[in-house]
Amino acid sequence: MADLFIPILIAFIMIYALIKGVDAYTAFVNGAKGALPLMASLMPFIIAMFVAVELFRNSGLSTYLCDFLSPLFRVLGIPTELCELTLIRPFSSNAAYVLLRDIFSTYGVDSYVGKCASVIMGSSDTIFYVSSIYFASTNVKKTLLTIPIALICNVACAIIACFCCRFI
Amino acid sequence: MIISSLVMMAIVAPSSVVGTMMEAAKMGITMCIEFIGIYAVWMGIMQVMDDCKLSHKLSKILSRPVQYIFGKTDAETEKNICLNIASNIIGIGSAATPYGIKAMQGLDKGDKRATRAMIMLVVINSTGIQLLPTTVIGMRAMAGSISPSCILWPTVVATFLPTILGILLVAVIYRRKKHG
Repeated sequence: MADLFIPILIAFIMIYALIKGVDAYTAFVNGAKGALPLMASLMPFIIAMFVAVELFRNSGLSTYLCDFLSPLFRVLGIPTELCELTLIRPFSSNAAYVLLRDIFSTYGVDSYVGKCASVIMGSSDTIFYVSSIYFASTNVKKTLLTIPIALICNVACAIIACFCCRFI
Repeated sequence: MIISSLVMMAIVAPSSVVGTMMEAAKMGITMCIEFIGIYAVWMGIMQVMDDCKLSHKLSKILSRPVQYIFGKTDAETEKNICLNIASNIIGIGSAATPYGIKAMQGLDKGDKRATRAMIMLVVINSTGIQLLPTTVIGMRAMAGSISPSCILWPTVVATFLPTILGILLVAVIYRRKKHG
């Protein structure tokens, strides 16, 4: 079912474009053109994040932190292999993508851990990044409870993600 | 994080610091190239949706719930919030961000304290209301998954419920205090 959803959606968009008389090919090419500049602007950040994450992991710091937190994760029903991902996700999507790629190659993309990781990745967002750029554009200095509320939601998201993955 | 990692590494294995950094940079470039492919395909499809006004239709459907959740805002801000949520739903965060920032500026009344609507917008955005996890599905496909999109419905559930939780939390906490 799920495998069919995306092809159907894309087909629907294309047929809709055809009916509306929009030149789908030109539109597609125009949109795809933006990928390279977007990636070029993101590349320095991605590399910086890769370096930071690799240092964080190779230094053993993340292992200590995860060992410390793993009882909590067990109680919440989150596989301990996902500890690093859940910790890093709120800070940087790029860093989290690094970990996701690693999880795919270590545990296999279709394993339970791989699926949980994908769902966590797809369903949460970088709280600190989003709130910093959003509030940066305003006069607001006090963000009140924004971050705590967002963090609670993120933990809830990870728990729900791991629970749902038992059924696929 | 970087500093503490560096200190730690200098103690544990000083010789491998530079090696680790270079290896990481190489991995970064590989991933960037994979991402160009994923982004190109999805941005192409988004553009098709944009050109036939499908994304505007989506944002029109959203305008009622948005009015309900955010309360009174001016028309321009409301449109920006709708477009922000619509782009989030179809899964292109980079398109959502500019609308989100515009909406935040629209909600800004020069106050130093965040208003209820602002907190709401940030919370909704940071729970990632993405319904179509395009990047993750792309990465799964590249990693050779037998079913790259099998994660679709759990992702929808794991997105939807925390977002509702966030909206409720904001609504309950900031109900009585008069924040905008």
